[in-house]
Amino acid sequence: MKIFSFFMVNCLFIFISPAMAHKVIVFAWAEAGMIHIESSFGSNRPAKNCTLEIKTLDGTMVHQGITDNQGLHSFKIPDFQDSDLIVYLNAGPGHSGRWTIPKTELVGETTPEKIEKKMAEKQSLEKGPSSVRIISGIVIIFGLALVGAWIKKKQSKPDA
Amino acid sequence: MHISEGVLSGPVLAAGLSITIAGTAVGLKKIEYDQMVHVAILSSAFFVASLIHINIGPVSVHLILNGIVGLLLGPAAFPAILTALVLQSLFFQYGGLTALGVNAVIMAVPAVLSYYLFSPLLGRSSRLTFAAGFMAGVFSVGFSSFLLGIALWFTNEEFLKTCIAIISAHVPVMLIEGIITGFCVSFLLKVYPEIIPNKNLWKNR
Repeated sequence: MKIFSFFMVNCLFIFISPAMAHKVIVFAWAEAGMIHIESSFGSNRPAKNCTLEIKTLDGTMVHQGITDNQGLHSFKIPDFQDSDLIVYLNAGPGHSGRWTIPKTELVGETTPEKIEKKMAEKQSLEKGPSSVRIISGIVIIFGLALVGAWIKKKQSKPDA
Repeated sequence: MHISEGVLSGPVLAAGLSITIAGTAVGLKKIEYDQMVHVAILSSAFFVASLIHINIGPVSVHLILNGIVGLLLGPAAFPAILTALVLQSLFFQYGGLTALGVNAVIMAVPAVLSYYLFSPLLGRSSRLTFAAGFMAGVFSVGFSSFLLGIALWFTNEEFLKTCIAIISAHVPVMLIEGIITGFCVSFLLKVYPEIIPNKNLWKNR
């Protein structure tokens, strides 16, 4: 039974693969008179059929839409808005994301360099957590536990 | 299950923060010196569990592990889960920093409750131990989903519809966590019974 339990526990952890979860990523950019929006939960998991609201800084709604099966949505840049546009994504209960498109991007000319820069930004957003961050988190937890243990030990010592 | 930034209303965030402060204070007081390493190990497990992602057909779910954390730590699960949530929020951008209090309540309250409900069954027999672990896993995720529904209900969402949507989305996680918790607890009770907070259980062995 002991060996079987050990085997089962290990099997369960072997058959599951690490990936991102929870983090709602929404990314938008202007290109050739259109605004393109991509949304995901990271690691090629598109945020499908999620509602989108695009508003100006003062809260005026300029567009509403729904992402497709690949988490994408595009629409024509609305008539000149003298404001940044904020993209709000509702990705299900308790999950939401936002992205701001600066007004300079809306009125400026799109160049291949600008698009390339945007795509690089998008890829960095979609990256999963690095092992350095994971290990740092664990080290911090054990560090805090060490401090806690030291405090508990001091408390348990009788006063001299 | 981590609520994002800007989803909840101010009063809900404040209520969550108050409950978290109280729960953490009680949890910190109840942690014993010998238990500190267990708290660190289980907090670390919780911290990385949300990175573990399981594909079941078209559904993609992730582990939470609050059931096993609660069952093995009791009230100390509150500070353990809060610490992990703070680090998840800072390092992985999971859940909003302002929603930390509510997120901690959603995950830690079911964990602590599962300790009081199911830990008395541990060690009675191997079947009962597995059943206690399984039920703790299922209950913790299920009750967390329910609390998430309540938090959203107080912020203008329709209660029944939201609750049904959240709980049904988490049914696979409940079952998987039930099985994992059942096997882990059964295994730990055999090889390292000291980790189970019910001291009478292992002192008499």
